[in-house]
Amino acid sequence: MSDSANASKPSSSVKLVLLGEAAVGKSSLVLRFVNNDFQENKEPTIGAAFLTQKCSLPTRTIKFEIWDTAGQERFASLAPMYYRNAQAALVVYDITKPSSLTKAKHWVAELQRQASPGIVIALVGNKSDLASDNGNGNESNSSGGSGGNPGEPGPDAETTGDAISAGQDGEGNNDAIEGSGENAEEESDEAAARDARKVSTREARTYAEEESLLFFETSAKTGTNVTEVFTAIANAIPESSLKGGRGAGAGTGQTGLGGRAAEDSRVNLGDRATATAKEGCAC
Amino acid sequence: MLQWSSFVQKAQSFIDPANFNLPTLNSTDRNPSKSSLFRQQFRLPDSQNPLQEITAELILPVPHTSSAAASSSSSATQGAERQPGNSYTGRLHLSERFLCFSTQPTSFLPSASLSASTSWTGQTHGTGPSGNGFTLPLCCIRRVERLNSLNHIFSLALTTWNGSLSKQQEPGFVPQRFTVQLVGSRQACERFCDGLKRGLRDCMREIENLRAIVSDCYSEYLLSGAKAAKAQQDADSGEVRQPPDAGLGMIFRYPGDARKLRDRSKMRLWGEYFRENGRNATLIRQPTFHKLIRVGLPNRLRGEIWELSSGSLYLRIRSPKLYDETLSKFSGRESLAIDEIEKDLNRSLPEYPGFQSEEGIGRLRRVLTAYSWINTEVGYCQAMNIVVAALLIYMSEAQAFFLLSVLCDRLLPGYYSTTMYGTLLDQKVFESLVEKTMPVLWEHLAKSDVQLSVVSLPWFLSLYINSMPLIFAFRVLDVFFLEGPKVLFQVGLAILRINGEELLDVQDDGSFISVLKSYFARLDESAHPRSENPKLRAITRFQELMVVAFKEFSGITHSTITEQREKHKDAVLESIESFAKRTSIRNLGPDSKRLSVDDLGIIYDRFYEVLYDYQQRQKLLDEEKKRQERKKIERISVLGPPADREVGRVGLGPSPTHMDYNAFREFLAGTAKWAITDSPGPSRKQSSSDQHGNGGGSVRSLNKNSSLLSGRPEPTDHEFMQRLYRKWATDPVEGLSLQNVVNGLARLKGTRDIMNNINYFFDLYDDDGNGQVDREGILRMSEALLFLSRRGFEGMVTASASLDENRNAHEPAEADTLNTDEKFLGSVSAFIRRCFEYADPSQTSPSRETPTDGPDEAAKKLDAFAIGDDDDDDDDDEDLIEMDDSKPTEPGEPAASAEPTSSKPSPDSKRTSQSANPALDPNNPLHITLPTFRMVILADELLEQFFESFFPHSFHLSDTPIPASLAASTSLSSNLTTFSHLGTPHKPGTGPGFNSASVAGASGGIVPPTRGLRGVLDNIVSDGIRMAAEVKKKMDEAQRELERNALGREEEDDDDEDDDDQQHHHHHHHHHTNRGGSKSAPLMVGGISSWGAGAYSADPERRSVRERDRDLLEGAEAEEIGRGELEQQPPPLPPSAEYHSGGGGTEVSKVEFEL
Repeated sequence: MSDSANASKPSSSVKLVLLGEAAVGKSSLVLRFVNNDFQENKEPTIGAAFLTQKCSLPTRTIKFEIWDTAGQERFASLAPMYYRNAQAALVVYDITKPSSLTKAKHWVAELQRQASPGIVIALVGNKSDLASDNGNGNESNSSGGSGGNPGEPGPDAETTGDAISAGQDGEGNNDAIEGSGENAEEESDEAAARDARKVSTREARTYAEEESLLFFETSAKTGTNVTEVFTAIANAIPESSLKGGRGAGAGTGQTGLGGRAAEDSRVNLGDRATATAKEGCAC
Repeated sequence: MLQWSSFVQKAQSFIDPANFNLPTLNSTDRNPSKSSLFRQQFRLPDSQNPLQEITAELILPVPHTSSAAASSSSSATQGAERQPGNSYTGRLHLSERFLCFSTQPTSFLPSASLSASTSWTGQTHGTGPSGNGFTLPLCCIRRVERLNSLNHIFSLALTTWNGSLSKQQEPGFVPQRFTVQLVGSRQACERFCDGLKRGLRDCMREIENLRAIVSDCYSEYLLSGAKAAKAQQDADSGEVRQPPDAGLGMIFRYPGDARKLRDRSKMRLWGEYFRENGRNATLIRQPTFHKLIRVGLPNRLRGEIWELSSGSLYLRIRSPKLYDETLSKFSGRESLAIDEIEKDLNRSLPEYPGFQSEEGIGRLRRVLTAYSWINTEVGYCQAMNIVVAALLIYMSEAQAFFLLSVLCDRLLPGYYSTTMYGTLLDQKVFESLVEKTMPVLWEHLAKSDVQLSVVSLPWFLSLYINSMPLIFAFRVLDVFFLEGPKVLFQVGLAILRINGEELLDVQDDGSFISVLKSYFARLDESAHPRSENPKLRAITRFQELMVVAFKEFSGITHSTITEQREKHKDAVLESIESFAKRTSIRNLGPDSKRLSVDDLGIIYDRFYEVLYDYQQRQKLLDEEKKRQERKKIERISVLGPPADREVGRVGLGPSPTHMDYNAFREFLAGTAKWAITDSPGPSRKQSSSDQHGNGGGSVRSLNKNSSLLSGRPEPTDHEFMQRLYRKWATDPVEGLSLQNVVNGLARLKGTRDIMNNINYFFDLYDDDGNGQVDREGILRMSEALLFLSRRGFEGMVTASASLDENRNAHEPAEADTLNTDEKFLGSVSAFIRRCFEYADPSQTSPSRETPTDGPDEAAKKLDAFAIGDDDDDDDDDEDLIEMDDSKPTEPGEPAASAEPTSSKPSPDSKRTSQSANPALDPNNPLHITLPTFRMVILADELLEQFFESFFPHSFHLSDTPIPASLAASTSLSSNLTTFSHLGTPHKPGTGPGFNSASVAGASGGIVPPTRGLRGVLDNIVSDGIRMAAEVKKKMDEAQRELERNALGREEEDDDDEDDDDQQHHHHHHHHHTNRGGSKSAPLMVGGISSWGAGAYSADPERRSVRERDRDLLEGAEAEEIGRGELEQQPPPLPPSAEYHSGGGGTEVSKVEFEL
């Protein structure tokens, strides 16, 4: 980033990987962040989908290279392929499904031991729209502060991202499909009944603090807190582990970065999580 | 004869230059079996084996330009001046239910292929229905005629059911009839014919299945269609035949523009091909067949040809109702797979209108669900939804169901398994192929840190369906089903090759992906848009891709892939397994943190090693059983996993997660030396019957021998181990999970707290969980203490002389001669005595003393151990020594020597102790509580040490690896050595010396397993009257008031105890260890060698084949061919070798580059 061509703001790319149990809404979170969109029927992620999105901070621009992994259990052994060299990870669980938090904890442990040292991990409880309150603990899900702003993607949002797997090209039979069936990825009908929350905010937050993770509760459906997660991550990436924008900037620099450059520290993010909120990403 | 002909084959193969570059498949040990290669080549079900093969010439008739063909065909070029039919030289193969012919040299035998009569060599290189020829289910053969046997030409004319199974006869229908000339010695030909006869007879009943399936084939409809339309004109009464289900495309349109795809032309060409070469099950492959597939299949025939070329048709013929039956059988049931399927139903090719409808979704749901039931190991894997959705556009549900099964089992092995090892493996293979074929690009990617597999994985996993526009993905599938998995690699390599220049500019994953994405999006564009040449301009990028894939990468054959897979398999499996290990160890929960990571790793490895080994053996057993039964019953499930498959390995997919008691015993034997059997002979009293009660004697010995082969110590069996098992298991029926074992060990080894260990031990015997252990329990405890200590203490327990003042103060000199083991014996008997001394009478639950078990057992045991008490008794020591000395006099039969000495005094001892010992009276129930137990333990130095260090340490994990002398193999071999000592008559001197010397603790307290502490105990017992008296005295004092009751029952018990005593002490130990052992040893050795040959070095399949062959030979008397008559007919005209494809051929070459 030191020799970034971008005069105004240094730009750097950050490899981010999403992990979590199947159907917790990983892909939906990404879709919300990248396209500010919510789709009922997304093709399931085969292996992993790759998307990019820029996030503009006051001092720099972060280009997220997002690897959205498949959630089905048996794809777990493919995960190392995707979190390799990742500088950030979003570990997602479903606040209506306690088992998904357990799985999330496993992923956190896996990342802490196997991923690049210094990887920034955010624990994200998705589907907060299914909870009647804002967390049992009487605390609003305000880790990210500006909760009520279902992210407009902002001017910087460069929606180049798309799933690896290209859809059909126009071979006649394919109009855009509006989701007609069950909403599989995001929530189920019975969950819509009032409060479906099964994982208290306090429990998850306590765990996140113990492990020095960023923590958010989000709703990909309403957009609540989604951009905040990414902004917080962008802010939490230590300067030292940032590299010149790989695709974007002039930097054709070293790519194998994440690992070595960041070995200095695992940043303690416990308090940063709350601090980042006010900084707010422009996107 | 058999040998002679194979010799000839071999000789020929040396001569034939075509065989010099045989695939290396045949040379390595890890080859797939011949059977599996045979099945692969002809895409046959797993039940098929290559029974016979012979060189033959296939002579096809002159294409009949009959009125039927002429009337339906619009092709005007079809004239009367047809060339005579073609002939091909190749190999004719016979399996149980198929007759196959191929011009392609088989990959499984270096068989002689006389130079082929046409230059076409096929594309499949040993996989798939390659070359020219046929794969005929025997039930399709209507008639076989022997044409002539003159001039050493052995000709068979085969007439098939082609086209004549439907009720309505097509006008001008000519039955399919062709000739096969067998080339070989007369006897070889006769033998082949005999085999064919048998097969034909056996398969007759399948004709109804065939009729049902065939009538649903679109090809039948197509050929009868023209006629049907005509018939309608003639007489309106004619029923309008409904077209068979050719997929969702019939309702929702097929993808792509049919006109642009030239669907009609293709359809006509196929119609003509069917007419001339047969259709569906009776199709004969000629070069046009392969060409027609390369140019893309017509929509309505696509499903049928996929089914035919993949071989799934044969599965469907075999069990036509399986799909419907599976659905109804499991209707309403739920499973994890079904949950996962439901999540994805709306996300499977959502852009295709059929999958926006309930109809399409419903079909998808049913096929995926049915398959998840039939193959629970795979269940459901994301990407299967996409693949099946694609199939369903072109085929019926049942067709897709069977094709999915072929995909999972054969074409994409391991892709969708729970570890997806097949997917990962093929990524490695692909990467290595890229490295080989495009080193520059490969280097660039490596330098840029771009991970290729990240991009290629979805290609393979969803067969390009998700990556390319559908119409192109289907074209890839057309070839894939015919030619096999190598197609996926060829296409992948071609994609990279074509985009090579752009990819060299790529610096990261992101741009790599976007280059390829935009390439896929423009596959329909011209590959040479600026070319002057209009022909070149007309070539689309997709056509270019196909050409590059199959021309430039034609060197990538099935054997290339197989070879590469073998090369990378271990590394891939290891990385999956280490991932799995890492993950599961980390997820073991809080209890596991009491053990070190190394310990956990050791437990994990041992746990799965045992399970893996156990399952392998189980599989061998099953195969052995099946082999025995196979003569009558064929495989029941047609869709089972491939027969020659490894099982149980973690990396390969769902491995067992729970160990039953017998596996647990093996686990313990690898962990604690007390769990290793004393006699790897028949002493497995319970296990042998429990474990394989169904298998019979031979099976049992197989089990034992294979366990020996694996180098694992054979476990013993003891009540204590059962208790441990029950204690650790959350659900004893389900078995022990890794979690259970870890938690169990964590409680034992996780603390250094003696109280914890004492409590734990007590808990093991507190059956009711009421904090009490009754009389029976006390005796069992003491027995367990002896059991655990019978192989010494590994230096953990040492008696200090000073503490023994109680017994030995008077005679310190003699006390020193006692080693720790012997002293421990004393401690245990003191333990019993004290337990009874301090026990509380229990009134609460008198009913717990079951009359059958309680009194006899209890008395027997108490007797046994109480006698061992050497309290204050000088004579005891003398007796001991005496016993040891007396041993050498009868080296040959130690068991016999022990028997008389023990049986004589026993009744006396019993009577005395019994009469005096109220503790034995079951009418006076008593129990000890935990505090009592603790007190009793802590009162004894040795027992204290036992619980403080030995007990937890006897479980060997990483911290204290099992001592070398006890390590698995060594301990086993030492057992065997012991046997040889005892059993060898010409070494009479060793026996006694061995006994006395090592019992005395020469090897640091390690007692030789054959004799062990129990042996010493037996001696003591046999001469223990005086000690019993001592015990009696103590007992009397403590429980005098109970004496009368005891006397009342004295006589009853007496008789039984005699037997029990013998049985218990001598039968088990002496008989088994010495007599039984010495006898069983040679038996075992024989067993090993025979099984070494049968189970390990040789392929079981092969054995079964040989047996079948023998059957065939036996039954090879002169039987007439069952269904066809043998007729003498003049030989057919010598056919011309030239093939002229006529209008079809020329048009094809035009189509090839059109799209």
